[in-house]
Amino acid sequence: MKLSKDGWAGLAVLAASLFLFALTLGLRDNPLVPIGPGFYPRIVLGLTALFALALVAFDLLRNTTPPAGPRTAYRAVVLHFVVFAVYAMALPWVGFRIATFAYVAASNALLDVPRSARGWLRVALLALGTAFATYYVFEHYLSVLLPRGRWTNF
Amino acid sequence: MYELLGAGIANLMQVKYLLPLFLGTLAGVLGGALPGVTITMTIIVVLPFTFGLDPLQGLAAMTGVYVGGSAGGLVTATLLGLPGTPSAIATTFDGHPMAKKGEPGRAVWLGIWASCFGGLLGGVFLIGATEPLAAFALRFGPWEFFALFILALSMVAGLAEASLLKGLLSGCVGLIVTILGTDPVMGQDRLTLGIPFIRGGIDFLPVLIGVFAFSQVMGEIERGGAPAADAVQRAGRLAVSHARVIWEIVSRPFQLLWFAFIGVLIGVLPAIGGSAASMMAYDQAKKISRRPQEFGSGVPEGIIASEASNNANVGGSLVTIMAFGIPGDAVTAVMLGALTIHGIQSGPLFISQNAQLAYGIFAAYLLAHALMVLIMAAGARWMLRIVTVPKAALFPVVLVLCTIGAYALNNTMANVYVLLAFGVLGYAMVKVGLPLAPFILGVILGDQIEINLVRSLMTDSNLWLFVTRPISALLLGLAVASIVLSLWQHRRMQKKSALAGGGADF
Repeated sequence: MKLSKDGWAGLAVLAASLFLFALTLGLRDNPLVPIGPGFYPRIVLGLTALFALALVAFDLLRNTTPPAGPRTAYRAVVLHFVVFAVYAMALPWVGFRIATFAYVAASNALLDVPRSARGWLRVALLALGTAFATYYVFEHYLSVLLPRGRWTNF
Repeated sequence: MYELLGAGIANLMQVKYLLPLFLGTLAGVLGGALPGVTITMTIIVVLPFTFGLDPLQGLAAMTGVYVGGSAGGLVTATLLGLPGTPSAIATTFDGHPMAKKGEPGRAVWLGIWASCFGGLLGGVFLIGATEPLAAFALRFGPWEFFALFILALSMVAGLAEASLLKGLLSGCVGLIVTILGTDPVMGQDRLTLGIPFIRGGIDFLPVLIGVFAFSQVMGEIERGGAPAADAVQRAGRLAVSHARVIWEIVSRPFQLLWFAFIGVLIGVLPAIGGSAASMMAYDQAKKISRRPQEFGSGVPEGIIASEASNNANVGGSLVTIMAFGIPGDAVTAVMLGALTIHGIQSGPLFISQNAQLAYGIFAAYLLAHALMVLIMAAGARWMLRIVTVPKAALFPVVLVLCTIGAYALNNTMANVYVLLAFGVLGYAMVKVGLPLAPFILGVILGDQIEINLVRSLMTDSNLWLFVTRPISALLLGLAVASIVLSLWQHRRMQKKSALAGGGADF
């Protein structure tokens, strides 16, 4: 028997809900109130585990191989998540303006690879424009303070 | 009521409110026109711009986005056959053939005016029904609120396009997000996983932004982003006799009312959305027509049905959030978040405690329709150029704005990490077919479900009260009925697809 995407999703949720359920067993009830902090989480996690188990069971019972879908660019998606993760991590260290400039440039260049000096100029202008226009609008007009870099103080 | 509405309109006519309303409507129209960018994504992008505004300015801008976005998709739908938003899909069926037959102006303006009239009829319901429904909800105790939230969650899970089981599982995963952090009764830490920022609980806005923005942007990246069609040439002349077009719509008063009613009804029910409203109205238009065989070849009723219902849908969605505090869709969920940011509690007391704000929203809703017509009149021709905006430039900018939106909630990087984590989760959920709407509703309602359950049990530990109190029993009965109905529908679909030789989800 082979699991499809449904089955794997069910298994992942089942594992997570059982793990959290086990953690709720360590929560101590307060003698002053009739309902402890673990009461509601146990209901939710129990139901989740039940539904997840049902999803796995139905997937096993159905036992059909899903038709192959169109080819998808998973590599590009992973790459963009990684670029965004680096951006999120860099924000507090290099500050909003530098991190945003680098992120927009990298992301734009990955999505539409520049093939000439003109292309690179377009990437740089978009990155510069986004970083500084958003900074200016949010800091000056909307009173939203954006992250400063610990390394750059910028 | 009329006095308050008049005061609301007069208030909104001030530049400080009219400007955000206009900009919101413009952003909505542009976002709606852009295939691949939904109203949800547009409102998420607009959200951080409202942080520095006063509550009414921010909510006026968001109402403008909602109204503008619901109509914005029709221009590209009629002239290019590319629906800018899912709710404009039904508009392409007759709008595009009419445009191709040499009447692009008539097709576009039938859609614009039908959106306007449908939206205004939805507004009549919004203004008339919100207060009585909120007053009714004031009679609710914790048993009734618990039952109401369970009903909303079960309806959303059941009506999700995926299987019922996946809908329920998705809703439960959303509820799990709300049990991490602090116990709402005694304030005791629970399930913090050793991560300090989880101790205060997880804000729902970064979750919502992450889940929707990333699933959409990454989905487009995965598909490689569809290039725009032969965009600009088909604009042609959009000049038309407005009196004739308006007469074409108002000369069918019962049909217009019926389509608007369908839109409102679908709007009131959580998580069904404008696309279902327009499809259902289109189907109804075909059924009540004397010449159903002509549908799909450019008949005006097809355009009127689709556009009138999808804008009336906005009015219905706003009723649910303003009377009960339950967001009907992702757009109103963001609006709920905006209310929370400004320290305003939505729910039955909202309209009585914030009458000026509530009637300001009504006024913004009505004025947004007039602004939408003006924006369309000035820019319909140019809107076709929107589809040529390269996604490679758009997506990084959208994600930067999402980052600002998450960060600025309370100026902490933790929310940006939550945004990223839930972006990954949202994308993974879409990939495995778990619907996002029940998940989000679970995240939004989870705390309230727990608080009302605990409150009811602490008031009286008798569990039978949930089914012996009439309103609570009715709501729980409806929840069970919605599950049974969706189970029956899925079974029927399963049988149909089995007959057709394919498999179906449970």
